[in-house]
Amino acid sequence: MMRPKATYVRPGTLTEAVDLLQDLDDRCKLLAGGTDVATELRSGAIRGRCLVDLSALPELKGIHEAEEELVIGSGVTLSEIASSAGVARGAPALAKAAAVFGSRQIRNMATIGGNICRASPAGDTLPPLYVQDAELELTSSSKTRRVSIRDFIQGPGRIDLKAGEILKCIRLKKAADFTMHRFDKIGNRKALAVSIVNLAGLVALSPDGIIQRIRLAWGSVAPTVVRSSRVEAFLTGKPLRMETLDQAYPLVQDAISPIDDARASAAYRRRVAVGLLFRLTTQQESPDSIMDIA
Amino acid sequence: MNMKEIKKIGRNWLRRDAAEKLRGNPVFCADLTLENPLTLKVLRSTHAHARIKRIDVDRASRTQGIARIFTAADIPGKNLAGIINKDHPLLVPDKVRHVGDAIALVAAETETAAERALQAIQVTYEDLPVIRDPEEALKEDAPRIHETGNLLFTRKIKRGEVERAFDDCAVVVEKTYRTSFLEHAYLEPDAGAGYVAADGTLVIYASTQNPHYDHGEVASLLGVAHEKVRIIQAATGGGFGSKLDLNTQGFIGLALYYLGRPVRYVYSREESFLATAKRHPLTITIKTGTDSQGRLMAMRARILCDTGAYGSYGIAVASRAAVHATGPYEVPNVDIEALCVYTNNPFAGAMRGFGAPQAAFAFESQMDLLAGELGISPLEMRRQNALREGSFTGTGQKLTASVGIRDCLNAVKPFYERVMEKWRHDPAPTFKKRGVGLGAMWYGIGNTGLQNPSTAQIEMDPEGSVTLYTGCADIGQGSTTVLSQIAGEMLGLSPGAIRAVVADTKYTTDAGATSASRQTYISGNAVKDAAGKLVEILLTEASNLLKRPKESLIVDSGLIRDKNDPEKTVPVTDIVRRAHEKGLSLKCQGSFDPVTEPLDPETGQGVPYATYAFACHLAQVTVDVLTGEVEVNRIVAAHDVGKAINPAGVIGQIYGGVAMGIGFGLMERYVPGRTVSLNDYDIPTCKDMPDIVPIVVESAEPTGPYGAKGVGEPALIPTAPAVLNAISDALGERIYTLPANLERVLEAAVAAGVFPGSHGVKQPA
Repeated sequence: MMRPKATYVRPGTLTEAVDLLQDLDDRCKLLAGGTDVATELRSGAIRGRCLVDLSALPELKGIHEAEEELVIGSGVTLSEIASSAGVARGAPALAKAAAVFGSRQIRNMATIGGNICRASPAGDTLPPLYVQDAELELTSSSKTRRVSIRDFIQGPGRIDLKAGEILKCIRLKKAADFTMHRFDKIGNRKALAVSIVNLAGLVALSPDGIIQRIRLAWGSVAPTVVRSSRVEAFLTGKPLRMETLDQAYPLVQDAISPIDDARASAAYRRRVAVGLLFRLTTQQESPDSIMDIA
Repeated sequence: MNMKEIKKIGRNWLRRDAAEKLRGNPVFCADLTLENPLTLKVLRSTHAHARIKRIDVDRASRTQGIARIFTAADIPGKNLAGIINKDHPLLVPDKVRHVGDAIALVAAETETAAERALQAIQVTYEDLPVIRDPEEALKEDAPRIHETGNLLFTRKIKRGEVERAFDDCAVVVEKTYRTSFLEHAYLEPDAGAGYVAADGTLVIYASTQNPHYDHGEVASLLGVAHEKVRIIQAATGGGFGSKLDLNTQGFIGLALYYLGRPVRYVYSREESFLATAKRHPLTITIKTGTDSQGRLMAMRARILCDTGAYGSYGIAVASRAAVHATGPYEVPNVDIEALCVYTNNPFAGAMRGFGAPQAAFAFESQMDLLAGELGISPLEMRRQNALREGSFTGTGQKLTASVGIRDCLNAVKPFYERVMEKWRHDPAPTFKKRGVGLGAMWYGIGNTGLQNPSTAQIEMDPEGSVTLYTGCADIGQGSTTVLSQIAGEMLGLSPGAIRAVVADTKYTTDAGATSASRQTYISGNAVKDAAGKLVEILLTEASNLLKRPKESLIVDSGLIRDKNDPEKTVPVTDIVRRAHEKGLSLKCQGSFDPVTEPLDPETGQGVPYATYAFACHLAQVTVDVLTGEVEVNRIVAAHDVGKAINPAGVIGQIYGGVAMGIGFGLMERYVPGRTVSLNDYDIPTCKDMPDIVPIVVESAEPTGPYGAKGVGEPALIPTAPAVLNAISDALGERIYTLPANLERVLEAAVAAGVFPGSHGVKQPA
């Protein structure tokens, strides 16, 4: 395999990085954990582009938990998220998504910022961020701005990251007032799989089983993650039961627009998008549950 | 032989290559240190079927760092390879038959230079109609992929009066089953290296399953004398059949022939996917009938094998699929035809099981369908039809010994009964369904109705040290350990004390391919034969010296002693010295060729194999009806191996076979033109692995070494059928196409009406 030519820089501070980006043209590529960039390098997709490695920036590291907010540095790895007590408290669905992301080796390298900026329709951290209305903090040499994840991600691989900007951190309102925090992922195998459909769900249930608030975000069923106010509004105030969810079937179908690809057909994704909704009526299994099989 | 004396056989021995691999020693082709080597790369066709009008290498030849660019015109010998039928050019002279066909070979100073040159070669193609579907390829007006036509081979097996038997059947089931192209996905992508020795010999290291075949093929491609080539098998990181073909060996040989400099060629994973053999996709239409008691009476099968652009092992796959289509059952009337057809798909060759895994999916699905119609349990259905001693197979072979299928079924029976009683009917988690399935199989050891001998030598030096010479390629399955155990047992030595010279064509003779699960049985016998002759010489000499009858003497731990008089001993070294003084050679030749009879071309009657392995797997699965996810909870795997020479090795094969079988059953599918690498070809991970209960059944084979048969391929074969039968049991709906991926399982759940809610039937637009 021929290694494409690329200049490579690894700034040591955020200031250094944004100054550097100001001087570079927009053909440069940001590298965080490198788990996607490495495959693009190998395939030649980013041949000839300069690489700016953000992995040494201390400002992108760390998870900070405040009273009502969780701030996750864009350079935090999926392994760190999966094992963070703060994330387990403030964003349990994200913690679950991180725990089933790729493989252990990938989780040790890949960052949440990289997963967001990749903007894959199948990105596993995205639905949990959508249900918590994550805000992204972007910084350049001249200014810092905040944008919601829904506005930031515009399409597959298309993001609102301006020349010279770096995604610094992700801000989440803690979802403590929800009783259920779910993340489910369907892939061709049980690890190291690209999501064919995924669903993050937050539900606040009354003691008698009525949905008081619900937020749902589907991945891999449209160019970007799907949240549907119609589905959420329809389910609010109704009991969390199969009958209710079954009635939402047509609304879900209207909200999503999946495609056929190498991994699955659109028809499969349409059905499973609802299948995962039905799963909300069950207890979520812990990932390593052991069944008595003898 | 007195069984109490057996100490090396049936004991777990650490694999002889374990230490060097655990230490990370540089044993693979890619690790070899060569002096200033050139890197090789092949320009591969981007067209599936096209005439080559022109190959312009001028510009590419002038790029920096290029030693030479070769095309078909440079091949000095016969530019056609293939183990069964020679149809595969090393570099295509005039037309390409699949995407990935080799057009030009670049030898360059660096990998970068080689890549640059590949991009600078200009090929002018004239496209020809592309045939993807073997049915299309068989049509009379179909364009010919090879001049000989698109039908490569037909295997027919006819016995009894099938149509009349169907008329008398109480139950008849006819279905069509389909399987996919699969990639072997061995750990080590194909690789080779080489240099020219001082005496002019072309020395080629290869990741290979068959060094002696490689040797002949390279000599033929180059038109050089046999002695001018030496193939050394480097450590080989798995093969599963694909490393039976020439992959890098011919290219290495060609470059050495012209350039004389050391060369290396290591495929990327992408090239390994693009350019090497795949598993044959089979379409099997099978009609099976029973009497009212559930006794199999008749079977008719039509099998279509897509061998893609080249034959490779396609003829063997079609032949084996046909022979094995009855399953391990007595079927008195059979009419089977298997066609092997060229298309412009990637070429398909050997892959663990040669068509038997595909056939097992069909015949084991049929067994459950019939059992369902008859209201008999799937286990009883199999037990009452299983082959036994005295049974005749579809080819008219009378089985006389080592028919362990019943033992396998009986070994699984208590597990089956227990799970059917409890686990199967205990409440499953919400939206999940449990199922239990059986998959049985038989597998003929060695090549189908062909001679397939092995040879070996055992030599004792004047100090009494023993060297085993074998051409048998150990590709990770552990044959060198097993052969050392056999030699050690014969000579009363620890297997580890025997020096093994393996798979180097300068020092070893042909042991045949490491394929068809044949090495333990066939090469094991060759080694045993050689060792037996050496023992005979030693005991004859010792008998003269000790004045004891030869029959009462044994060799053990460097001594020859009288079984009945432990005081009466003589060191082996004394005997060796005497033998040398008398001019006796202590290098003994061994050989073995299983007794087979060729199959009649019209009726397929004959003796395809001297012995068969048998197995039965029990699968417990949990199917998620919301998503089509299948969790394989447990596989109970009973295998009749005749005798487990190294039980740990047998169990290792069973684990690996189950993993591969789950991939075949549930997820693996190579889509020509789309699948590129492990990025988009999913094989099972450890998380997909079930609990596995291996059960070793030993129905001794009288002609086997210590009763041994084989297990390499059998390990894989029953898993997919068992899992598919279990899914069908869980859902009440059967899947007829492999893999039973998420999509197909969910479709089956919807068809079975078990997808919950009111939208279960109609698929929204």
